[in-house]
Amino acid sequence: MRKYFVGKMLRKNLPVFIFLFAAFFSISNTIYAAAESVVTDGHSQEEVKRGERFFKGLLPANREFASCVSCHNLNPVDTLNWNPSAMDLALKFVDKDFASFQASVMNPTGAKMEASHVNFKIAEEDLKTVKLYLDNLAHKGPAPAKPTYFNLILFFALGLLLTWALVELIFLHNIKWKVIPMLIFVGAFGWQVKMIVTDAIKLGRQENYAPDQPVKFSHKVHVGDNGIDCMYCHTTAENSKSAGIPAANLCMNCHVLIREGTHSGKFEIAKVVEANETGKPIEWVRIHNLPDHVFFSHAIHVGSGKLDCKQCHGPVEEMDIMRQNADLSMGWCIDCHRDTKVDFEGNGYYEHFVKLHEDLKSGAIDSVTANDIGANDCMRCHY
Amino acid sequence: MTKYWRSLDELNDPVAFKKSEIRLEVDAKRAVAQKAAGSSRRDFLKTFGFSVAAAAVVASCKRPVDKAIPYLVKPEEVTPGVANYYASSYFEGNEYCSVLVKVRDGRPIKIEGNDLSSVSQRGTSARVQASVLNLYDDARFKTPLKRGEATTWEEVDDYIGKKLAQLNQDNKKVVLLTSSIISPSTKKVIQQFQERYPVVEWLPYDAVSAAGILKANELSFGAAFIPDYRFEKAKVIVGFGADFLGTWLSSVEYIKGYSAGRRVLEKGDVMNRHYQFETGMTVTGSNADVRFPVKPSEEKTILTALYYQLLQAKGSMTVMAPASPVDINGLAEDLLANEGQSLVVSGSNDVHTQLIVNAINQLLGNYGNTVLTGRTLNTHQGIDADFETFISELKNKTVAGVLCWGVNPVYNHPKGSELKDLIAGVELSLSFSDRKDETTAACHWVCPEPHYLESWNDAEPKSGMFSLAQPTISKLFDSRQVQESLLKWAGEETPNYYEFVKKHWSEELSKLQNTNTDARIFWNDTLQKGVFEPGNASPELTYSEAGLGEALSALSESNGWEVVLYESVGLKDGSSGNNPWLQELPDPVAKISWDNFAAVPVKWAEENGLQNESVITINGVELPVFIQPGQAAGTISVALGYGREVAGKVGDGVGTNMYPFVSVENGARKFWVAGADVQTTAKTFELALSQTHHSMEGRPIVRETNFSDWQIDPRSGNELKEEHEKHDVSLYPAPEFKGHHWGMAVDLSSCIGCSNCAISCQAENNVQVIGKEEVRNRRIMHWIRIDRYFSNNPENPEVYHQPVMCQHCDNAPCENVCPVSATPHSDEGLNQMAYNRCVGTKYCVNNCPYKVRRFNWFEYVKNDAFDFNSNSELGRMVLNPDVTVRSRGVVEKCSFCVQRIQEKKTAARVAGRKVEDGEIQPACVQSCPADALVFGDLNDPNSKISKYFKNERNYHLLEELHTLPSVGYLTKVRNKKS
Repeated sequence: MRKYFVGKMLRKNLPVFIFLFAAFFSISNTIYAAAESVVTDGHSQEEVKRGERFFKGLLPANREFASCVSCHNLNPVDTLNWNPSAMDLALKFVDKDFASFQASVMNPTGAKMEASHVNFKIAEEDLKTVKLYLDNLAHKGPAPAKPTYFNLILFFALGLLLTWALVELIFLHNIKWKVIPMLIFVGAFGWQVKMIVTDAIKLGRQENYAPDQPVKFSHKVHVGDNGIDCMYCHTTAENSKSAGIPAANLCMNCHVLIREGTHSGKFEIAKVVEANETGKPIEWVRIHNLPDHVFFSHAIHVGSGKLDCKQCHGPVEEMDIMRQNADLSMGWCIDCHRDTKVDFEGNGYYEHFVKLHEDLKSGAIDSVTANDIGANDCMRCHY
Repeated sequence: MTKYWRSLDELNDPVAFKKSEIRLEVDAKRAVAQKAAGSSRRDFLKTFGFSVAAAAVVASCKRPVDKAIPYLVKPEEVTPGVANYYASSYFEGNEYCSVLVKVRDGRPIKIEGNDLSSVSQRGTSARVQASVLNLYDDARFKTPLKRGEATTWEEVDDYIGKKLAQLNQDNKKVVLLTSSIISPSTKKVIQQFQERYPVVEWLPYDAVSAAGILKANELSFGAAFIPDYRFEKAKVIVGFGADFLGTWLSSVEYIKGYSAGRRVLEKGDVMNRHYQFETGMTVTGSNADVRFPVKPSEEKTILTALYYQLLQAKGSMTVMAPASPVDINGLAEDLLANEGQSLVVSGSNDVHTQLIVNAINQLLGNYGNTVLTGRTLNTHQGIDADFETFISELKNKTVAGVLCWGVNPVYNHPKGSELKDLIAGVELSLSFSDRKDETTAACHWVCPEPHYLESWNDAEPKSGMFSLAQPTISKLFDSRQVQESLLKWAGEETPNYYEFVKKHWSEELSKLQNTNTDARIFWNDTLQKGVFEPGNASPELTYSEAGLGEALSALSESNGWEVVLYESVGLKDGSSGNNPWLQELPDPVAKISWDNFAAVPVKWAEENGLQNESVITINGVELPVFIQPGQAAGTISVALGYGREVAGKVGDGVGTNMYPFVSVENGARKFWVAGADVQTTAKTFELALSQTHHSMEGRPIVRETNFSDWQIDPRSGNELKEEHEKHDVSLYPAPEFKGHHWGMAVDLSSCIGCSNCAISCQAENNVQVIGKEEVRNRRIMHWIRIDRYFSNNPENPEVYHQPVMCQHCDNAPCENVCPVSATPHSDEGLNQMAYNRCVGTKYCVNNCPYKVRRFNWFEYVKNDAFDFNSNSELGRMVLNPDVTVRSRGVVEKCSFCVQRIQEKKTAARVAGRKVEDGEIQPACVQSCPADALVFGDLNDPNSKISKYFKNERNYHLLEELHTLPSVGYLTKVRNKKS
């Protein structure tokens, strides 16, 4: 019985489904078609293609060493890859001649690279095509990330489902038990509402946001392994609204000597050195983004409140890739203000609160929370 | 009870006025509704519904990536997120002010007063506050220009250098036409330039000059100078057409002194008495204790009569004094009772008038006491006669080159249109202007100078009082300091004006002190403080009666209409015509923005059936009418500084240029017209008149008393307070503030209505400019407005200025009616406004009895319909990053500069100390030249604000409503003769 219904439904709505699928594929196809290659310096498309095959490990056929792409990934990956990506390499060598590229590949300097490039054998002609491929890549830019249409498809599918249920209920009357389309209607509509509500709440929030950074800087290595204090780099946290992203010359305090990392080799540190030499600052991707109408102050929380950085930023010492730990929503702020006790005796500023001091003395209250001294006033953060 | 009114209509028939006000408001709303018919509220809701659904579904897409770019090498003194303040000097349009420039993340965003300067004494004026916006003006030149086309400095130097050398060789005269120059280093540069090119003649030119005073002093003292007026020492101040609280000479300094002499808070405090003789109602006249509306031609007659009367009283004169048109017996009495403690000033540019003023001051023994000749004011150096000579030289082609620097004679000289052709006709015409103006348009070459916030300079506004100006941002455009250009052309390979100034200070000025033996430390120390005041004045000069006889005998005749041309408080001489903040600033007395107008006397308007916005013609020029209570009979006042033709997108075509009405008499420019032809027309012209907006519906807002009554009972005039306090009961529990309770006090006696606070607030709080149309629709966004009330006789009323900002009521009527709790009360007594919560019902706006809430009817930022500073990338650089830029549909209002409160509180907490009294200063309080505003913690019994609140003169607006405002007002005290 049930099978019959489903089959009938499919039959009735077949044109719609076909259209939807067709539409979906046509969208994805246009995206790929847009990524055309650029041929540089009179080299043919063939050579570039050949270079790509070498890079991706399709050539040479009897290869005894790892392919380039196995370490130097082409697309952004979710997991941590310490090696420079293909794009990184492409950009680094695009303005350099083949000789330096060759030297870098065949006669690596630095322990890490030596270890990974061992046994690496490739003919000069072939390596040239690899360089060509990379140059081409540098001009072309990385392949665009595929947008995910899952939510959108689900939303429209649910929409179709509930439309069908509605039509069935009012006009078609094909199904004997009205409760079935009714349930489908309620279910589909409810799911849609749920999607809207959850996504609307998430709008503008980005918990766990961990974008790729221009330099593979690991907080785990610096904080966790080497035990550098947060405030060594984020110097202004105690006195300014902003904790401050360290200036590139601050990195050189140590990296003037340390030129090779245990994981990333020389490549990433070289970027910092280069920034200092060329005067082109590093463009980090901002992770913690508060809306423009929120004025958060590190000074109040770190300088005066003596909060541990970890309380909001999470286990930074374990993060190879820095990510946003808390959702930074207003509810999250306010909850903390309600519970957090203020060091009321230790700071001369609180002498302003005469009444609270009296209450503490008389035992009317046993502690003062941030909320008691107005931390949850609107104009603490919004002005 | 005294009746207070805001406009004549209200005085004549309050009920009809109220009705017409409502009708106007409805009309305005209807007009807007019709205009906006294209997209209705329904459309909005539809779009809104769809966009929420769409946004939610697509939310899985990533947010745009934000970059965070740190310094490569962080400058030691810069902390991201914390503002730095640099001391500098403002000098534009003959106005000097020592300032602190607030720099956030490399951008100057706010000007504050420098308290170390004994000239401006932490005060600023509206013009100074607005000067930061001139830095981000779209009309600025981006490169040097050659006949309107972009060129390079190399080409400029090549051509000009050769041209100057050639003119020098041919012995053809070149005139360096500058504004008054108060910089000692610049004078040295000019000297060096002249040494290289002896044909160069330096000619200072002022749009509105003080040539009368300079010439008169040359006769009386043998030197052309402006003396140092000490208003704070004067017990009796007499002004003759001198708007010394508005635009005259060094007004910020004079306001400081004037209001210091009028502050009566405790028993024993004394108060000066201010007589003002003037034609139109100026800010100064509106503050006078006794004001005489007189024709400009009568001023000299009155002065002559006064002089003779004083002579007679002193027994050294037997001739009968000529009759004065007004009764000056009381004045003479007062002056004689305060010999050596009185001050007579005149704004006239007529040498004879100034000679008589000198004689009176000499007779009263004021020289050496309230008028010091040992210290001179250097801000006005232009001698009008010299400029007339220059014009005739241009005409007979003896001048071959003109270099214009900081001057705009094509616009602001009566013979401007003639000058335009003359300047365009010389062999070498060059302008150093940093932005478009009329004179620059006539010049072949433009060598743009940087804005003063991008420049090094020094200044000597008063003899022996030095200050420095330093760049606070690297040059935005390809400009070069004029001094460097001149040095370059004088033959220096790589001129560096910074080194030049430093050298001058190390070599010359460091000798004047002995605190720092090392010249470098002296330089650093002064640069940090901004000012260097060695303090030693030259000896006083001896007075002689030269020229007095002639001055006394030459009496002026009066016939027909007399039209007075004055500088407006906002635009002054008009050089900042492209500054939207100043254009939108309502005139302190007329409350009109975006236009100049003909202020006509009340009686004449009545007789001729004229109303506000009627159009009259003066010598054929059409002007809209504003009926000005207090305008002298038979006179009309019109502001200069309007009618710019080449100023930029904001200033072009606003108002009418009145400079062509200026005439030259006895070698001095005369800023009034006698025997003008005035005709009425049937036309009308719409004015952005905001005097009746945001009405408090005729409740007793201003309370006043007279000094003599105050001496007997300090509560006088404030009897209502006690009455209201009797009814002080509430069902609500009394509000309790555990930590701070912020409050502000306004001393109505000190406030002179100069409007500095309005612009200061605008700069600090990102208050948007909305344009003439919207101002007419009663939507002006200023968070602090200065209400102006009149009382008594419309022919010569008494005037009151009352700044009204959010009163931060502890029982706030606005808070209860907000359906979304967007405006709750804070633990510190602030009436908070959370923009992100506001949905724009405007219930709070309607329920606020003080009418201080402003609604964003439109998106004023990045909107082509509001093409002011916020519609360009450059103009938006002035925005304060610590304050949200409000978007369409939300309500905003004064926040007591909560960002400053939070900043200072944070600093105190981090340092583990209490917040000091006076440490937190909202923008309006910081730079108030009259020290009329006080801010502080009411919970601290020893704070200044608590003392003000306990003062007998303190009252609150609409106390009877029991709103418990956190803003207190001190009664207005006048010192009328009883």
